[in-house]
Amino acid sequence: MASEDEINLLVIVVDVNPIWWGQQAQRDPQFTLSKCMDAVMVMGNAHMAMARTNKLAVIASHCQGSHFLYPSKSWSGEDGGGNDVSSSGDGKYELLSAANNLIVEEIRNIMSKIEVTGNSTDTLLAGSLAKALCYIHRLTKELEVGQEIKSRILVVKAAEDCALQYMNFMNVIFAAQKQNILIDACVLDSDSGLLQQACDITGGLYMKIPQKVALAQYLLWVFLPDSEQRSQLVLPPPAHVDYRAACFCHRNLIEIGYVCSVCLSIFCNFSPICTTCE
Amino acid sequence: MKLRVQLQCKNLHEYLKELSPEILDRLYNHPATCLAVYRELPSLAKNYVMRMLFLDQPLPQAAVALWVKKDSQKDHDECVSVLAGLRLWHSQQLQGGLQGYILNPVFKDNLRTALLGGGRAWADEGSTLGPDRHARDIESLDRYAMERWEIILQFMVGSPSAVSQDLAQLLVQAGLMKSEAGEAPYITSAGFQFLLLDTASQLWYFTLQYLKTAQSRGMDLVEILSFLFQLSFSSLGRDYSVEGMSESLLTFLQHLREFGLVFQRKRKSRRYYPTRLAITLAAGVASSSSSSNLASSPGTGDAGFIVVETNYRIYAYTNSELQIALVALFSEMLYRFPNVVVAQLTRESVQQAIANGITAQQVLLHWAHLHTKNSTPVLPPTITDQIRLWELERDRLQFTEGVLYNQFLSQADFEVLRDRAQGLGCLVWQDVAHRVMVVTPQGHSEVKRFWKRQRSHT
Repeated sequence: MASEDEINLLVIVVDVNPIWWGQQAQRDPQFTLSKCMDAVMVMGNAHMAMARTNKLAVIASHCQGSHFLYPSKSWSGEDGGGNDVSSSGDGKYELLSAANNLIVEEIRNIMSKIEVTGNSTDTLLAGSLAKALCYIHRLTKELEVGQEIKSRILVVKAAEDCALQYMNFMNVIFAAQKQNILIDACVLDSDSGLLQQACDITGGLYMKIPQKVALAQYLLWVFLPDSEQRSQLVLPPPAHVDYRAACFCHRNLIEIGYVCSVCLSIFCNFSPICTTCE
Repeated sequence: MKLRVQLQCKNLHEYLKELSPEILDRLYNHPATCLAVYRELPSLAKNYVMRMLFLDQPLPQAAVALWVKKDSQKDHDECVSVLAGLRLWHSQQLQGGLQGYILNPVFKDNLRTALLGGGRAWADEGSTLGPDRHARDIESLDRYAMERWEIILQFMVGSPSAVSQDLAQLLVQAGLMKSEAGEAPYITSAGFQFLLLDTASQLWYFTLQYLKTAQSRGMDLVEILSFLFQLSFSSLGRDYSVEGMSESLLTFLQHLREFGLVFQRKRKSRRYYPTRLAITLAAGVASSSSSSNLASSPGTGDAGFIVVETNYRIYAYTNSELQIALVALFSEMLYRFPNVVVAQLTRESVQQAIANGITAQQVLLHWAHLHTKNSTPVLPPTITDQIRLWELERDRLQFTEGVLYNQFLSQADFEVLRDRAQGLGCLVWQDVAHRVMVVTPQGHSEVKRFWKRQRSHT
């Protein structure tokens, strides 16, 4: 009876690449970044409402780094949050409204401060995932005796994949697999081979959304149940995964290549000395 | 033969199922209640509700049945019955003639409000009153809560403590204490069982009893319940103001203050702090792990603990009267020192406790609670087995009422009557060699009539 409560942690990584979202706003004014953040917040609220021991974290990932939207550094935690936290003026559950206000404020700060320079137009997704894993790891260390934590990461991806991040991505995926952390992917626009692999390896769900406007509905129907509940529900089946590796020299996806017998790194052209291990 | 009354600690669902439909619908008018009820649902049902929360049309039942995999069909049926029992959804005829499910609209709107905002604020936060000069921090709130709760428990055990008349009357009405005319109330067997439960169950049982008597006091059940749930969702350490609370709610607040669920500096003070006890209340019988100091039973303010040895001796390192009284319930006191109490478990003492209505399971569970996070439960298996055996000793004989039929003139008569009784299902016992049988009192009249008819035929 005593401490059987399992903490369910959901980390949502939102892709807020300003270039993609800017183009998106021109293509389809109905679905903008604020609508996307609303859907994400609904999902976060629903997750927190499910059980007292559920926790949430939201990370925004853009082309210059990643940033924690919730919990942010100024957030002093649940107990004794006291005076800095604005109370909800309406019927929303207090905790949820505090979280939502924080998220809105932080995303506003971020978007106003980003400056896109030069060639870096790709979302640094691998970095955000690494941050998420570190956060999960820290929380796991801070548990009291007898408590257990189950975590998963939900990636809401907007822009295209960046093949340069292949190595980092794969490392993150394998680390997540070791820690039994599920990675789910909700893709808005173009299919992402990296995320498909991530979902396949860690056992999460991959879904490309046919209608962006209905993002909230898809999130609630498909991605809200946790791993235990997923075993009971009928969910979209896994898609065919593109398992091609990227070569280490050019970061191109190749089907046939050369492998170093010592360190197993992959190259597209023959070279007598391996650049990784020599 | 005294029947043992088992203390039942119903949880939130069963309580709600007992309420009448109109009250339930009025209850769902408050977002806090909806959220509390939602949290208590089984996880599959939660997913169902969440999926249907944003739909305005009914969904065909067949479609909903397809949501689960084949092997989880049983869970699906269970969820359907739970949701229907709580009146969260009902069937509605669709256009094509199929049966569909739709969420209770009141519940749907209020759950949406709780999740997304809009609607009235639940309670006025103390922001309008400015910062509290006498603000209390969390530890003092915890201490206060445990103090008040312990005073109530001590009153039950019989140690002198100041408890209001209202509270004493509530305990009597709850069946936990009995009061003879003019004398002070003393504890009943149900009260003993209550003492051995853990704090969360005790709180919940107590609240349920209070709610049952609320209507007789002229308080509005719906208002009180909504306030209770709202309290359970508030954050620890924040103060809330009493603006806009009706008379009956204010009275309720005073009662809660006595139970230790809220803290108010003075009766007239305009702000109150919910304590940890209140916040874990809606968690009901499932205790929360965050409040590790609640997991130990009250009275261990000085972190006393109990050691049970294999020679049936109990050493209780505690000063708390309550703990000592609890140990004295089922063991014989041997020595008492300023910081230790030594007691011996004997067959007589345990059987006396069992005669009072406590089960061995409750005693063992109670001890298991005292060994929380740090040590693994160190109850020797010999002791647990022996307590169970002593309990079973009382169950060796089982009494059933019956009517004896004997002195049959022939074996054939006996067999005919015996078969008839067996066919009716009221045969309790028979002895073929001596031609004796016992029939239940209910079946006796039927068998007698049959026998008379039989005799008049032959």
